[in-house]
Amino acid sequence: MSNDVMIYASDLSKNFGSFRALDKVNFEVKRGEIVGFLGPNGAGKSTTMRILTCFISPTGGTARVNGHDVFDAPLQVRESLGYLPQRAPLYLEMSVLEYLRFAADLRHLDDSTFRQRARSVVEVCGLAQVLGKEIRHLSHGYRQRVGLAQALIHDPPILILDEPTSDLDPNEKAEFLDYLKQIGQHRTVMLSTHNLAEVEASCARAIIVSRGRVVADGPLDEIRAKSGRVRYVVSIQESAVGAQYRGRGPLPKRSEVEDALGKVDGVKKVGELPTDERAHSFELVSEQDVDLRPELFKLIVDKGWVLLELHRDAQTLEDVFRSLTIGDERRNRQLGAAAEADDEQDDEEDVDDEDEGDDEDAERSADEDQKVAKDDRS
Amino acid sequence: MRNILIIARRDLRAQFNSPVAYVVIGGTLLLLGLLIFKLPHMSVAGVAIGGFWEIDRATMDEMFSLLPALLSVLVIPAITMRSLAAEKGSGTLELLITMPVRDSEVILGKFLAAFTTVVILLALTLLYPIAMFKWPMNFGALDWGPVWSGYLGCLFFSAASVGLGLMFSSLTESDVVAFFLTLVSLFALYAIGPMVSVVHGGVIGDAISFISFQSRYQSFARGLIDLRAVVYFVSVALLSLLVSFRSLESRKWS
Ligand SMILES: Nc1ncnc2c1ncn2[C@@H]1O[C@H](COP(=O)(O)OP(=O)(O)OP(=O)(O)O)[C@@H](O)[C@H]1O
Ligand SMILES: [Mg+2]
Repeated sequence: MSNDVMIYASDLSKNFGSFRALDKVNFEVKRGEIVGFLGPNGAGKSTTMRILTCFISPTGGTARVNGHDVFDAPLQVRESLGYLPQRAPLYLEMSVLEYLRFAADLRHLDDSTFRQRARSVVEVCGLAQVLGKEIRHLSHGYRQRVGLAQALIHDPPILILDEPTSDLDPNEKAEFLDYLKQIGQHRTVMLSTHNLAEVEASCARAIIVSRGRVVADGPLDEIRAKSGRVRYVVSIQESAVGAQYRGRGPLPKRSEVEDALGKVDGVKKVGELPTDERAHSFELVSEQDVDLRPELFKLIVDKGWVLLELHRDAQTLEDVFRSLTIGDERRNRQLGAAAEADDEQDDEEDVDDEDEGDDEDAERSADEDQKVAKDDRS
Repeated sequence: MRNILIIARRDLRAQFNSPVAYVVIGGTLLLLGLLIFKLPHMSVAGVAIGGFWEIDRATMDEMFSLLPALLSVLVIPAITMRSLAAEKGSGTLELLITMPVRDSEVILGKFLAAFTTVVILLALTLLYPIAMFKWPMNFGALDWGPVWSGYLGCLFFSAASVGLGLMFSSLTESDVVAFFLTLVSLFALYAIGPMVSVVHGGVIGDAISFISFQSRYQSFARGLIDLRAVVYFVSVALLSLLVSFRSLESRKWS
């Protein structure tokens, strides 16, 4: 293991009773990396982070933080960490300043260092107005800011943040992500989130977990390319209202266009996009290593249609996330998925309804069946 | 060591930032005063207690028979209930434990905070003997020997009781449950003492007076320092700290 590996997890497993929350999770995070830790609800993000911060112990596997083993040297591990647990559980009866001082005391910061660090974290987290307020009187967003502030107070080499931005307003979110990028050059940051735009904005790398397993790990570009699909959007003029129709022959019908597009070599899937009555718009999916644009253009010219729009883009991170974790979501919506029943400890406030996609993904289903089989055994 | 003090200080501050500590301490002092001065012969858990005015002796016996009972059913359950149960319930424990502190330091800090609160209460009860035998009133020459030994007994008694309270607090996530578990067990440990007279000695009687906090405490109230009782109370305290420690650690393996 090189010196630069700050977080190292090898075959991490965690069972809660008979429920397997983590199943052989492997990853490394190096110095200077900001890693987004992604996954649907109940995927095991918080569990992994709790293991890394030595709050709970793994059932199997090893983890090292800053070179220290979580079993053998929990104190050294925690000394190198700043940790924000999910939902920032703080002492409500303390004032913000008292809380920060308490955290600094436990980190053994002396008075002048504390003052200097406090000034900096208060600025980054935007806490100047509430320093004297009791935490119980703060809004959720401000509590989260205080949680961030205590994680940053000792300027740790490694930050582990469990959904650090879930309650922040857009301004503070941007400010904070900027700060992360700025300090992240010499530090290691691992942050879990459901917000993919945030990952795109601040992380160069993502680890996606689903049902306790790592399903993708790598630079964002690689992950985006992982599904190996490319998307095309094609719009054909449907009617010419108040203007001259420039096409050849009659105006095309929807089914006619759909059939023709579906017959183009390399097209895997055709889906209609919602539009007004002026255009037919379709979304095509193809393999990544071919470019269908010339074929599409030729087809449209041959037919004499009027092309309004044609563009090609790699799948968004969101699409990849959905296709990688879709199994989870589908199971959640079926009654009798018993594995999810013991969720009562962790019921989350943030309902992530964006996850409900229903694109079929043939490549994933084999993997999924395997997981289902594993689950039935337990 | 330093961490223990930091944690204890935070807990104490939280204790005294909320009305609970004031209500408990104030209420106990008030109740103690009422019981000492106003009540005629009565019995607390089977122990006959004379009203102060009816006994023409300059002693603080009444106070020292009442104190452990009040500590058991009122003070200690209320002070220890939040120690760990509330932190587990609200999740703040996660932030505390993921600071660079040992689990043992958390337990000892919590113990120290609760114990200190009880010591503050005990120190305040000193006002009674002072007010009665020094200033402003002077009812005679008080023999201070039994007073100090009584306080010593109270300290050991409280250490064991706070230990038990902390243990129950570590076993649940609800402070209400912790409160009642502590109350019931402390009351039981106290109240079985007077039952010795019912069973008239023998093995059972010995066993009862061996485990009863009340019988163990009795000799202190009479001015004796019973070394075996000291060992007993300290052992109970240590054992319950150990159980609390294990219970805190068990979160790792759930
Ligand atoms: N203490 C526990 N006892 C039993 N099961 C638990 C416990 N903690 C977590 N789990 C289970 O482990 C699984 C993973 O939970 P975890 O909190 O790690 O999910 P997550 O990825 O953080 O989800 P979210 O996005 O909702 O925060 C869940 O199914 C959860 O029910
Ligand atoms: Mg979580």
